[in-house]
Amino acid sequence: MKNVQVGFELPSLTVTVRREDLVRYAGAGGDFNPIHWSDRMAGALGLPGVIAHGMLTMALAARVVTDWLDDPADLVEYGVRFTKPVVVPDDDKGATVTFSAKVDKVADGLAELDITALAGEEKVLGRARAVVRAQ
Amino acid sequence: MTIDATMVGRSYTAAETYQVGREKIREFAEAIGDPNPAYRGDDAVAPPTFAFVLSAPALDLLLADPDLGLRLDRIVHGAQKFSYVRPIKAGDEVAATATITTVRKAGDVEVIMYETVLTSADGEQLATSTATVTHNRADA
Repeated sequence: MKNVQVGFELPSLTVTVRREDLVRYAGAGGDFNPIHWSDRMAGALGLPGVIAHGMLTMALAARVVTDWLDDPADLVEYGVRFTKPVVVPDDDKGATVTFSAKVDKVADGLAELDITALAGEEKVLGRARAVVRAQ
Repeated sequence: MTIDATMVGRSYTAAETYQVGREKIREFAEAIGDPNPAYRGDDAVAPPTFAFVLSAPALDLLLADPDLGLRLDRIVHGAQKFSYVRPIKAGDEVAATATITTVRKAGDVEVIMYETVLTSADGEQLATSTATVTHNRADA
């Protein structure tokens, strides 16, 4: 179990998401909504292009926490709001998202973390919070 | 064919339990690019958001309820939260029940919150998933 104090910043994580990652997540996660693989279908719904699964972005953000924890079982609560879609162009560069997290409360054997997810200058997750067992 | 506060409390239980296998956990971990050794091998536990995959069969029943009249292409996943009792692990047989907890309407836009409880074969609660979705009934 981690020994932490308020203000501690976890190592950040930068992930590049390409179209093939969306195809892979669609299969593994069982979400075949065409807005995650078809520009035509995404455009028909008024989106700027294919967007990443919100649940993929949420999974990537969780890695900031579980990479740092000794045991992922110490994660007791995790929630996000999907505030902006991550648009993933059909090219080699894809979309790059940087995740960071900071401890903002420690009490009763639990630490609360505030997670930030930035695609360029834009926050793609809001109120992203995790609660972990800590001392 | 609409949704309102009288639908709060409606529950949907997936017809079959989900048998969690270590290779599915590995596949999911690889799809999120996560090399964590906890997600590999005979004693593998699932990454935290795998709970959403387990809740999906119950969600599919909710989305298909003809009384609600929801359309997938008009739904946006607005927020998601998980509370964990213990990690999901290879070998678990997981049952999922989704219950509508809140319905708010603003014109054509409906905000629906539902909670999905995941339990093991022996009735042990494993995790709870709380989701907020927005459904827009307006014709584009």
